[in-house]
Amino acid sequence: MHTLHIVSKSPGHPRFLECLSMVDTNDVVLLTGNGVVALADSSIEVPSPLYALEGDIQARALTPDSARCQVIGFDDMVALTIQSQRVISW
Amino acid sequence: MHTLIVIDRPPYGSWSGRESLDMAFSLAAFDQPVSLLFVGEGVLWLSQRQDASAIAQKSVERNLKAAAIFGIEALMADQSACQRFGLGDGTLIDGVETVTDLRVTMRRYDHVVFPG
Repeated sequence: MHTLHIVSKSPGHPRFLECLSMVDTNDVVLLTGNGVVALADSSIEVPSPLYALEGDIQARALTPDSARCQVIGFDDMVALTIQSQRVISW
Repeated sequence: MHTLIVIDRPPYGSWSGRESLDMAFSLAAFDQPVSLLFVGEGVLWLSQRQDASAIAQKSVERNLKAAAIFGIEALMADQSACQRFGLGDGTLIDGVETVTDLRVTMRRYDHVVFPG
């Protein structure tokens, strides 16, 4: 069961940690909106594979480490949702 | 009556941060002494090279850079939050004073507001 977790909350929001606790081995996490803040937060562990939306990253002037996270656009986001059997939007 | 507005929410994700900036600029416009303190994820407001066009929003960097001209007394950021998010010289907007003790900083103000 391959689930895509779309997270738009920053690590400070309680739902962010709830989401991390629900990510199974072959699930995928996509950070959007405030979720991309997690990429700059040295105090938290992010799962992998991990994707993040380019527009939100640029807005917040973040420079994510490409080894940890793949930066994608909206068309890739749509592709991710199609590939997964289930999507949870946190 | 010196007001301190504390911003602890990340930029762009919600309107509360932008509303607190408007609150600060309105106070300053009426010659009310006001300062801004950014803590936690709020320090990300102070990053350089923000480009919010891709999410159809105006970058707040310009307003913050002009804060002094608008009459904002001080732009302060919590030192530990800056470290946590890797913000320092070269990545922080110029003119930001980093503070280490939030309690001491807040005690300097008559009125402290956490908007949103």
